[in-house]
Amino acid sequence: MGKIITDEFTPTWEDVAHRYGRKIYNFAYRLTGNPDDAADLVQEVLLRVRKGLDSYRPGSFDGWLWRITRNAFLDGIRRKQRRPESALPEGDHHTLGSSPSPDEVLSSVRLSDDVQSSLLKLPYEFREAVVLCDVVGLTYDEIAEATDAPVGTVRSRIHRGRKQLRELLTWPV
Amino acid sequence: MARLISDPDARGELFSAYLDGQLAPDEVVLVSNLLDGDEEVIREFRSLQRIRRSLRLLPEFEVPANLLPDGHLGDRLSAYLDGELVTLEHRRVTRHVVDCPDCRIELQELDRARIAVRSLPGVDTTSTGEIPVTPPVRHTRRYVAAGIGAAAVAAALVVGLAVGNGDEPAFSLNDLGTRHVARASAEPGFAVLPASVEVSFP
Repeated sequence: MGKIITDEFTPTWEDVAHRYGRKIYNFAYRLTGNPDDAADLVQEVLLRVRKGLDSYRPGSFDGWLWRITRNAFLDGIRRKQRRPESALPEGDHHTLGSSPSPDEVLSSVRLSDDVQSSLLKLPYEFREAVVLCDVVGLTYDEIAEATDAPVGTVRSRIHRGRKQLRELLTWPV
Repeated sequence: MARLISDPDARGELFSAYLDGQLAPDEVVLVSNLLDGDEEVIREFRSLQRIRRSLRLLPEFEVPANLLPDGHLGDRLSAYLDGELVTLEHRRVTRHVVDCPDCRIELQELDRARIAVRSLPGVDTTSTGEIPVTPPVRHTRRYVAAGIGAAAVAAALVVGLAVGNGDEPAFSLNDLGTRHVARASAEPGFAVLPASVEVSFP
């Protein structure tokens, strides 16, 4: 799929919403397995994009956008850690006293299919790299920019994520 | 090469990046060599390939429509067709139209309508004499009511042209403008624009 937004233009907020809304939604859905969390993230990201576009200078738009998306996502997880009673399902409250990690919060979400459920068992960095690569479709360079990690680290995370996924899946691969 | 053969993680990382098309040309050659023979290595590659495929085949969900603004182009499409958008906006619209089927269809329909309107035959005023509107004369006046006068002239013209026939008196821009200024002089409340506002009649 070709990109309407190139690095030489500053797009409008509406352009971003229509072009990237679905990708952002799916990114969040695959990371959390939860449509409400995904919808919240889309709203939050679009809000941040709207505020940030004035100061955006043409450059790597995808890198800029996905950095915002990732930060919004992680901020959402941190908020949930501060309000755990609404973020965790019954039975997971034993984690509250020890400041649960994003992985613990995320892995508490109920899952529906095998790949999705296995995906949610991956450590966050691996899951994020795999989702940005295989669900969002970013290149390694773009993932590196979005996650503020070296390309070599991205490459390693993607592979280790897939490898762990292979071990987690119940069907033979 | 020797390390890659003995280290499954290093090998797998290379395979993974190869599947993603993220390898340099010399690394691609390396992968080809690795896959040339050893059944175990080939199985490992196929396994990674299936994992990757299963991830990429995950269904993509539509974002709920209520989360998105109505980002279509609306009246910018007409301005676009008429060449009235400045360069940057013009390019944005072009890019949006390329990517948005709805706006592309709307643009085509607008263009057809625009062409149809522009290809209407002109009214022959010399043969019938029915609409003897005085040729445009440019006036610049400092009358307070001139702006309202211009609007009134435009409105009168529209009404006149809509209901007029050959038996009715002809309209004159000058005449209407003059009459309006006369009324503004006689009825102070009629004039609302400050005296400094300079308005040009077309």
